Amino acid sequence: MGGGFTGTALAAMLAQGGFPTPTNADERQHHPQPHFAPKAERVIFLMMNGAPSQVDTFDYKPELKKYAGKELPADKNYINSGGRRVGYLTPEWRPFRPGGESGLLISDYFPEVRKHADKLALVNSCHTDSHAHGSALVAMNTGKTFIGRPSLGSWAVYGLGTENQNLPGYVVILDKRGGPISGQPNWSSGFMSAAHQGTLFRPTGNPILNLERAKYMDRASQRAQLDLLAQLNEQHMSSRQGHDELVTRIQSYELAFRMQAEAPEAVDLSQESKSTLEAYGVGKQPTDEYGRNCLIGRRLLERGVRFVQLYSGGGHLEETWDAHESIEKNHGQHAAEVDQPIAALLADLQERGLLDSTLIVWGGEFGRMPFSEGKDAPGRNHNPYGFTMWFAGAGIRGGVRYGATDEFGFEAVQDRVHLHDIHATILHVMGLDHEALTYFHQGRKESLTDVGGKVIHGILS
Amino acid sequence: MKAGVFFLLLIGLLPQLDLTAGESADAAMEVLLERCVTCHHAKQASGGLDLTSNAALLNGGDSGDAFNPNTPDESYLLERIRTGEMPPEEKGVSQRLPDQEIEILEAWVKRGATWPQGQKLDPFEKTTSHRAGRDWWSFQSIGHPAVPESPLTDRWARNPIDHFIAVALEDAGLTPALPASKEVLLRRLHMDLIGLPPTQEQIQRFLNNESPDAYESVVDDLLASPHFGERWARHWLDLVRFAETSGYERDQVKPYAWRYRDWVVQAIAEDLPYDQFLTHQLAGDEIPDANENSVIATGFLRLGTWNDEPNDPQDYKYERLEDLVHATSSAFLGLTVKCARCHDHKFDPIPQADYYRMATAFWAGPIEPRSSDHLGGPTSEELGYTTVLGWTDLSANPSPLHLLRNGDPKSPGEAISPGFLSLLPALDRPLDPPEKDSRTSLRRLQLAEWMVHPNNPLTSRVIINRLWQHHFGLALVRSPNNFGFTGERPTHPDLLDWLAHELIHPRQELADQTSGQPLNSTPWSLKRIHKLIVMSATYRQSSNPKLHDQYMKTDPGNRLWWKAERRRLDAETLRDAMLMAAGTLETTLGGESFKASIDMEALEGLSRKSSAWQPSPLADQNRRSLYMFAQRSLPDPFLATFDLADTTLPCAERDISTVAPQALALLNGSLAHRMSGQVAKRVTEQSSQPEEQTRWAWRYIYRREPTAAELELGLAHLREQNKRFSDDANSHPASTPKTKWPPELQLALFADQGVDADDAGRVRMWRDQSGKGHHASQSSKVHRPKLPEENAGTGLIFDGQARYLNIAGSLIEGQQSTLIAVATDSGNSGHREIISNWNGGAGNSVTSLFLGMTDEQTFRFSDALAGGFWTGDRQKPAILTAIAGPNNARVWVNGQLVANRGSPLPDRRLDTDWVIGQQGNINGEFWRGKILAVLVWDRALTDQEREQVTYRLAERFKISTQPERPQPDFLALQSLCHVLLNSNEFIYVD
Repeated sequence: MGGGFTGTALAAMLAQGGFPTPTNADERQHHPQPHFAPKAERVIFLMMNGAPSQVDTFDYKPELKKYAGKELPADKNYINSGGRRVGYLTPEWRPFRPGGESGLLISDYFPEVRKHADKLALVNSCHTDSHAHGSALVAMNTGKTFIGRPSLGSWAVYGLGTENQNLPGYVVILDKRGGPISGQPNWSSGFMSAAHQGTLFRPTGNPILNLERAKYMDRASQRAQLDLLAQLNEQHMSSRQGHDELVTRIQSYELAFRMQAEAPEAVDLSQESKSTLEAYGVGKQPTDEYGRNCLIGRRLLERGVRFVQLYSGGGHLEETWDAHESIEKNHGQHAAEVDQPIAALLADLQERGLLDSTLIVWGGEFGRMPFSEGKDAPGRNHNPYGFTMWFAGAGIRGGVRYGATDEFGFEAVQDRVHLHDIHATILHVMGLDHEALTYFHQGRKESLTDVGGKVIHGILS
Repeated sequence: MKAGVFFLLLIGLLPQLDLTAGESADAAMEVLLERCVTCHHAKQASGGLDLTSNAALLNGGDSGDAFNPNTPDESYLLERIRTGEMPPEEKGVSQRLPDQEIEILEAWVKRGATWPQGQKLDPFEKTTSHRAGRDWWSFQSIGHPAVPESPLTDRWARNPIDHFIAVALEDAGLTPALPASKEVLLRRLHMDLIGLPPTQEQIQRFLNNESPDAYESVVDDLLASPHFGERWARHWLDLVRFAETSGYERDQVKPYAWRYRDWVVQAIAEDLPYDQFLTHQLAGDEIPDANENSVIATGFLRLGTWNDEPNDPQDYKYERLEDLVHATSSAFLGLTVKCARCHDHKFDPIPQADYYRMATAFWAGPIEPRSSDHLGGPTSEELGYTTVLGWTDLSANPSPLHLLRNGDPKSPGEAISPGFLSLLPALDRPLDPPEKDSRTSLRRLQLAEWMVHPNNPLTSRVIINRLWQHHFGLALVRSPNNFGFTGERPTHPDLLDWLAHELIHPRQELADQTSGQPLNSTPWSLKRIHKLIVMSATYRQSSNPKLHDQYMKTDPGNRLWWKAERRRLDAETLRDAMLMAAGTLETTLGGESFKASIDMEALEGLSRKSSAWQPSPLADQNRRSLYMFAQRSLPDPFLATFDLADTTLPCAERDISTVAPQALALLNGSLAHRMSGQVAKRVTEQSSQPEEQTRWAWRYIYRREPTAAELELGLAHLREQNKRFSDDANSHPASTPKTKWPPELQLALFADQGVDADDAGRVRMWRDQSGKGHHASQSSKVHRPKLPEENAGTGLIFDGQARYLNIAGSLIEGQQSTLIAVATDSGNSGHREIISNWNGGAGNSVTSLFLGMTDEQTFRFSDALAGGFWTGDRQKPAILTAIAGPNNARVWVNGQLVANRGSPLPDRRLDTDWVIGQQGNINGEFWRGKILAVLVWDRALTDQEREQVTYRLAERFKISTQPERPQPDFLALQSLCHVLLNSNEFIYVD
């Protein structure tokens, strides 16, 4: 390729990384950098789509045994999502046992994760703004119950930039069964540049759309195309003034060419040892899919991807954690799919020395009710009033329990944590001040947490 | 900011201690206005303290007296200020007043803290250093500035626009760029006005036309083109968050949203005066001569996202109000009124009550929660039309709308009377109540009338700014949806006003100074303004001025307009230009949207794959991108990569990103390959000779002749690629056939084997050759398919007249399976099935398994996969293979993969009876065509097995499965065309 690039555009592009090349004036003036020393350089968000039940997993409520078969007291107000049948308080479907030295109580749905209890900070007092999957998912991802706002990963990439130009800074891997309700707005960059939106990765073959060459085109013939393209573009540029965007576009083709090699490499698990594959449960059911995704997640994090989100559950109802029919059947299946892979991820990150610089977030869009959906009905309805999320890794104090729900596990009562607080905390661990990380849009400095959000200092190391 | 500087100067000029009482009070008023009353006024008295009048001060606040008449110097007011507690710190930074200002307040308080006679401070009156008052530039009347003159104007100007530009350039010591070449101008005009490149013929005609009005006649032609309406409608549709579905979980289609799109196209093409354009959209149902067309325009109020399952429906109606206030105020007024939902606007003179005054206009409409069948709008009966997506009031006198304290529906405040924004005092008045027999509240109509009142300065300035923005790529006011304090100032305020004035009060005598052609003089005619702009010398400048680098240092933002902006094609224009180069662009205007083919892998983000995307027939997909169906949960991946507008909020300005995924989309995406193949095909129709082909590639794509050097490059590429593709073609040996069917075959029906016909030549029994005894039979004579007369092996004839066969026994038990058919297809619309186990009565109406077609050429493999096209001649037998695998579900035609669902089919109910030739027992969806063979395996075949089966069936039924791999020389030509479509010359407009 000929010379003649004006240095500034190229330098700017390299600084931004190949993916984000913002064009919004305010964004251009924004230089990605942390506000204070970050604990986590990257985040992996294990999204339990459909909403796991807290009282059956990470929020032990012994009182439920006592109240079993009774109704939730009448003074507890709630919206009965979907107008489903309201049944009776029902204790956990699988027993809780202490894990690790901390002895955190975790149920038998997560026996493998329980072994890592000392790494976990369980936040039992989460609450959110919607009882409906569609808006609650969007809220967990963007801070608001309506679509159109930038998602958490977009804010992270906007705030910190990306480390690997050949891979997107924000990657989402969906469950094979389908995407989350509301679809793309869950990883949208909203009013920010599209460069900050989540990139969907497929866990096999060519992970990104359009990465595969046409059948008749091989590497050499495409290289020949790019060489001709470069010559034509060079000639086009030579008769023109003001080259910045022209150079950027020329360069984007070279990046694309490199990505075709690097992105498939990132998902190529043949490079992993047999013992690693086994640890993640790759190659056996029911762990194969999520095990693969967790392992790819680790490989992406290693390669400098800033924010990774892995969905467990996709589509609707029982294809997700949405256990209306039966906790035991639903969570029995979904937890079995993810328990070993998540435990393996925690162990693997630690072994590779990445746990100190990686934040792991686990949770769904809300929780589930402590009561059943009818007499002897084994399922539970949606509950935005109290649920559990957990954090591990960089900046997190392990082996702790933070906040509490009432004796029924119905609503957060002690040290309540709103989803804005969760977002504020994630940004904080990444070295970003959620109030200072703003994006000027239509006359207003917008932020992820809007006018709310408190960092949960109680779980930070 | 500027106001603040002015304020500080004023204070600075004051002699320190020898002020008169009057001067002291005036100075104190300035400080109070600047620093205090934003938080301490009657409607929003922070700490209970109101500092807008003497009486209010004497009332004190929650902490008691603010002013102590006995020992004024010890007043609480001063104490708080001296300690720096007031004004409160912001983000940890003290906002303590400068000593000088504290001294002013001290002096005034000591003198008794009296207000100047009768004065009451109004926090919204004057602009301060941190907020705009009603004296803000954009709220002032439109001026009628004189057209300035200078030496440069004589030399350079073509019309008054250029005078304003020239004078400012001269002041800055800059000169305008030379005019762009005719070629550049013509392409710029075409892309700008109609969004389509000129044809080579149009270019030649223009280059050969040396008359002085050559340019103007092109302008007139393009402005008169219906495509002008399409191009400029796209800008408007971005602004009104146009999409055709609701968003959220179910993402329901909003029926007839496309009619609103067509209305906009037509209104712009016919130059509907802007005052009417606005009024119809806000109140097309309320205008005196309302008709179906004007009611379609009210679709504007129906375009927002709509959640059928909000957390709290009572709260949600306020979200919808916000959407309506925001869309209306940002599109028409360039204001961020929505910021005043929870509190007074922080930067603009929009008290909280004003937000609710404006919201009353929509309060009479279908805002209250109702059946989700109405998708948040009126019923057909209420609207008066059945095939219109529109808006109307449900009542002429709705219950009052209450202001919400902190925007919280749970703390309603005062009831709000319908009204306008108070920032235009001259036009402020209470709304008239509707007349007795009025069906609607007439609030929207009055709001529209207020907006288009000649003395409302925002409406005209805002639209003028938008026209300028889209013509030049940058706006005069660089924040087109925000003319408030946090927005930008106009680069040329006088020019903006001059144009706005021309819009409302067009002067008959204004003529283009070059040709003397009179402009039309209809008030609010936008075409008149379009023409003025594109006729200007400013517009006709080159984007490559000689002194570019030097000028960039002086004015990097091109705020003085010393050059034209080079612009990248937007997503739709890029796609349209590719279709046009390919010669396949279908330019039919209007009508229902088409659904573009989307890579199955891109559908993975949908939560409901079963109702996934069904693309329109390929012929419809050649329409302009404007007509692409806009589904909120699935923006078209190609367009989205090229910065399609987000459809949730009004978008005044698209992002223009340059990222690697765009390169990937154009290098590897199917659209670019299809288009480059089409161009190559066109080229080969012109010539088979490489040199001529290269020339034609340049002509079709760049619309010009290649230079000698380019010709050389092109030819070299053809040679090299031809060699590569030839080598490649020779390196693939044919695979060796196997003679056995793969194991676990459950069903094997062949037209040339085991067919029993009745006397009438109709098939009674079709014997299964798998050895499993799954024979297919039909006991009723009238339902039997026909045996062909000549040769049974050519296939059983299913003529669509309720012919089908029932299969004995159960075929498939596991979720993985393989269905293969050899068939022809004469159907052209509707669903039709080859094999199916659908049984509504048994409850698998959405979980059955079947293989069939729909529409003209689209496959259906269960209702969880609709897609992929049977593009060849469907009258010729083809091998159709459908495999439900562990990780995906895919369909092949003659060994070519045509559809791929990147995830397994959702669980199917497989215990019902199987039927050949219709959709199970639905009593319909009959196959139309021949069936030569049907094979079923109770597992997913491997790729190798699938290829073997394909080979055997092809042999048996004489079907050519050789993919029509183009010749190497054609591929080389396609490669060349592909490169040109990727190039900067193609994607940028100078």
